[in-house]
Amino acid sequence: MNIMRTKKGLFWTLLTGYGIFTLYPFFWLVISAFKTNEDFYSHPFGLPEIWHFDNFSRAWESSKLGTAFMNSMIVSVGSLMITLFIAALASFVLARFQFRLKGWIMTFFVVGMLIPIHSTLVPLFILMKQMSMLNTYWALIFPYTAFALPTAIFVLTAYLSTIPKEIEEAAFIDGTGLWGLFRRIILPISTPALSTVTILSFLHSWNDFSFALVLINKTKLKTLPLGIANFADGYQTDYGLTLAAMTISVIPTILIYLIFQDQVMKGMTAGAVKG
Amino acid sequence: MNTLRSRRFIIMGLLPAMLIYALFVFVPVIWSAYYGFFNWSGIGASSFIGLDNYVEIVHDPIFWRALKNNFIFVGAAVLGQVPLALILAILLSKNNFLQRFLRSAIFLPMVLSTVVIGMIWQYIYHPQIGILNFFLDTLGLESWKLQWLSDGKIAIFALIPPLIWSFVGLYLIIFMSALQNIPGEIHDAAQLDGATGLRKLASISLPMIWGTVQVALVLCISGSLKSFDLVYIMTKGGPAHATELLATYMYNSTFTSYRYGFGSAISTTIVLISLILIGSSQWITSRKPKQ
Repeated sequence: MNIMRTKKGLFWTLLTGYGIFTLYPFFWLVISAFKTNEDFYSHPFGLPEIWHFDNFSRAWESSKLGTAFMNSMIVSVGSLMITLFIAALASFVLARFQFRLKGWIMTFFVVGMLIPIHSTLVPLFILMKQMSMLNTYWALIFPYTAFALPTAIFVLTAYLSTIPKEIEEAAFIDGTGLWGLFRRIILPISTPALSTVTILSFLHSWNDFSFALVLINKTKLKTLPLGIANFADGYQTDYGLTLAAMTISVIPTILIYLIFQDQVMKGMTAGAVKG
Repeated sequence: MNTLRSRRFIIMGLLPAMLIYALFVFVPVIWSAYYGFFNWSGIGASSFIGLDNYVEIVHDPIFWRALKNNFIFVGAAVLGQVPLALILAILLSKNNFLQRFLRSAIFLPMVLSTVVIGMIWQYIYHPQIGILNFFLDTLGLESWKLQWLSDGKIAIFALIPPLIWSFVGLYLIIFMSALQNIPGEIHDAAQLDGATGLRKLASISLPMIWGTVQVALVLCISGSLKSFDLVYIMTKGGPAHATELLATYMYNSTFTSYRYGFGSAISTTIVLISLILIGSSQWITSRKPKQ
């Protein structure tokens, strides 16, 4: 009985300890974002003496976070739209039609997933330069789309193959063409899978740093991660300001995570395991 | 008529995805294999130099340092991340509020951008204002205070906790869903036979999810080879190349000295190394259960 109790106590101490360890960096980020530099030095662990909400408005203005926010929005939503459309179309074909090269095409997408993303940075830079796409939104939209495609196609194909074919056959007999079938039947019934793909590829492009680092160097076009990294270099001595900018930049992803937690977890693990 | 129409639809349906995918994933890889044979500064003419770039890579001590550091990361992921995630998955198997909360907390870094993660940890490790050194002060362990990221001997190891911190949640969820898929009857049977605790873990749970563990190992290896952002943000490969990884080595030698031919050769080397590693890890793990 006593051993059981010590065991249980140990178990809870360990778990709580780990929980604190895992949440602390994040907690520290948020509370320090409200501090002045003096507060930052003198009470590194405590809550702010005075909660400086103005750190956030100052960070927003001096870092041009607004522009970076918009840029991130444009490239993330842009590549998301293209990904959803062409991945749904390809998955419809792959899940529902029989043709000779099908196996090869699936392999084509699998092999691509083995290629480490960073090994494409140098050649992509050269490619974009030759296509005069460097420093445009397209320089990010296309690579984000390309790297989101395999997971999107796997998730969607797997989902579509669980749906009985009778649904489409009925529509087909009614005289709906293949495009109509895709638009009116396939897209609506794949909503659950499409929303998983949406969350995954949005988070990916929103958080991406390396492509933006290599393919964008105009300040006006910089995305949020790049903007934050540059801002930190410039304002290294005003800690509260830098931390406030960092906090602002994670709000959208944290919101998505809080609202769609199960889907985020399931989607990310499914995406990873299939890759 | 009908087959003709559906054939056209098949082509039209697959074409956009395949085009974008080929153009932005495959073409770059093939091109870098080609450019790897040239000496090219990005502007002007390029000259064919055969295998010279590869010869230079093989003779570059920084390349070997980078490769070694990549292996340190692979080792940390395999020996640190996977066991930790397994332990957490076993401890956090209940569905009460606290455990659900802890699971969400552990997974949280997965949705944060690496830039933010890297910067947070930079602050944690900062020699003067970092909370790690403050914390050691508070405990009276002044002698343990180190220049975490600027001491070449320890910097690469200082990068391991942030790496584990950010990815352990993914493996936790992977293992949890595998553990939940073990049928209840097996647990009942184990209980009847008197197997509990560690015994049950070793002879029931682990063998049942061995397939998932294999997948996780392959994921760890390929994931560790992909690390770039975190190290670039935290140390840029420094001090004095002490934390150089293959990817930062490639980035630094291409974009700071404008050697696109040489950078392409490194890119091709990275592709080859990761294909070999992933191939062999899959081969090793898939052989084991048959013995």
